[in-house]
Amino acid sequence: MTAILRTESGRLLRGTLLLTGLLVVLSAFFLVVFPSIQDEAALFEEVYPEYILALLGVEELHTIEGFLGGYIFPFVWVLLAGIYFAYVSAGMISRDVRTRRMDLTLSSAVSRESVVLQKIGALWVPLVALSLALLGTLLLGVSLLGESVNPIALAMVHVLGVPYLLVCAGIGIVFSVVLDRVETAQAAALGLVFVLWLVDGLAQLNPDFEWVGTVTPSRYYDPTAILIHEEYALLDAGLLLAAFLALVGLATAYFVRRDL
Amino acid sequence: MSGQTAAHETEPTADTATIRLDGLTKQYGDVMANDAVIFAVEPGEIFGYLGPNGAGKTTTIRLLLGLLKPTAGTATVLGADIRDRRALTQAKANVGYLPDTLGFEERLTGREVLEYFARLRGDERRDELLELFRPPLDKPVETYSHGNRRMLGIVQAFMHDPDLVIMDEPTSGLDPLKQDRLHRFLEDERDAGTTIFFSSHVLSEVQRVCDRVGIIRDGELVALETIEELLERGGKDVRVQLARPVDPDQFVTAEMIDVELVDRTARFTYTGEVIELLEHLVQYDVTDVDIGDPQLDEVFKHYYGTDSQETG
Repeated sequence: MTAILRTESGRLLRGTLLLTGLLVVLSAFFLVVFPSIQDEAALFEEVYPEYILALLGVEELHTIEGFLGGYIFPFVWVLLAGIYFAYVSAGMISRDVRTRRMDLTLSSAVSRESVVLQKIGALWVPLVALSLALLGTLLLGVSLLGESVNPIALAMVHVLGVPYLLVCAGIGIVFSVVLDRVETAQAAALGLVFVLWLVDGLAQLNPDFEWVGTVTPSRYYDPTAILIHEEYALLDAGLLLAAFLALVGLATAYFVRRDL
Repeated sequence: MSGQTAAHETEPTADTATIRLDGLTKQYGDVMANDAVIFAVEPGEIFGYLGPNGAGKTTTIRLLLGLLKPTAGTATVLGADIRDRRALTQAKANVGYLPDTLGFEERLTGREVLEYFARLRGDERRDELLELFRPPLDKPVETYSHGNRRMLGIVQAFMHDPDLVIMDEPTSGLDPLKQDRLHRFLEDERDAGTTIFFSSHVLSEVQRVCDRVGIIRDGELVALETIEELLERGGKDVRVQLARPVDPDQFVTAEMIDVELVDRTARFTYTGEVIELLEHLVQYDVTDVDIGDPQLDEVFKHYYGTDSQETG
């Protein structure tokens, strides 16, 4: 019983290709400017106010690891890809309900739980495509720059980024079942993911408010630590996965009870 | 889907009705979209569900499919209680549905849309149906006309050879030729044992294809009849030609409804006994009387007309 999974996967293909292309180009641009940044890294770190550096999670900017972990991943992966996953998930259920496509789907012998799970399952398409494309781009780019980076650490940045993106998708799917308007659901999901990212960055600036950041998913995903210190925070990734499952459970529980 | 339950075989006291509504109620705020609706649809009949737009027909259908939850009461579809999600989901393997608003994946071609439903439910009758109803399968659904959408909808509703097909305004958008084809197809399906729940606001087609009809108005079932009974109960269509004008207050009785009195001609629907009408008319100087069966349209007006009276 995978009809919905297959159709939904196909539906995600076009957007995924577009986003993957965009993020690959963006990452390539980042890599192109790395040599000039590297030269002035020390100056850079002095010139930038500390809160900007903290917001971006910048550390050891003059090394390729620090650059990837402090520049590319926070922006490309945590912010842009996170927003995409929230946005696309927020449209999954709400759009089908809105266009009455859900009526036809649910007139078959398929449960609402299965619909939600298959829709979420279709996110394998952007997850795999984005991870592989970005991994390839970064490995190639780094070697072209004459630098080297631990490929295992780089792979781990992607692997441990998956739970983070799934949490973003979980936020999207909750809005998707709760809100009736597609645009509202997508705007809410996108906005919340952005705000959470911002809150995490800002909370780190002030020790008094650092605890606020503990509710943000990006707190549990630290590309810099993985790349520079090769610290693989499996517990944090587990927490993110648990949060994702809780969000999907919440969305499913709500969806099976509501009127369409 | 693996286990299509043999619920009706294993339960000896199982309900034989294909659909049974038992006080089915759906309330939205102050509005009763369905108000304690009770009726049953028997296997192998075409049941017409008649009512003007907004009467609550679609609400009933969406309740039967488990898309909405009843406020009170319940219903069974192929033996499954609609409040029992699991049982209803399994029963839906044998249900076809043609909604009034057809939500297809717009970018997919007709063929891809059918592929999707085939994976979801099966498609043993697809080719046969596509010989009767021919949507342009290689074009994206977003380019379809209303008629082509409807035909694609008909194919997906029947292609897994369901025991029950629920159709909501099935002929809307179809040209008269295709409507005829659908009507004949439905009769053949009925004769082959399929039960059809046919919701419509068009009387003539209900009159043409349905065996029985339930009429719903403002969420309430107001009549449940065979087509013939309904015509009888609906009264007689009467036209009286008089020699000279009459005083309406004297001439019109309580049994006359939808009265049109113009000069020396009176037209009305008579809901009482014909003999009483004749006894009443002999008091006047009548030159011609015409008493006939009303069109179902007239019957409908009787229930829904703005000047309709209590029907009892």
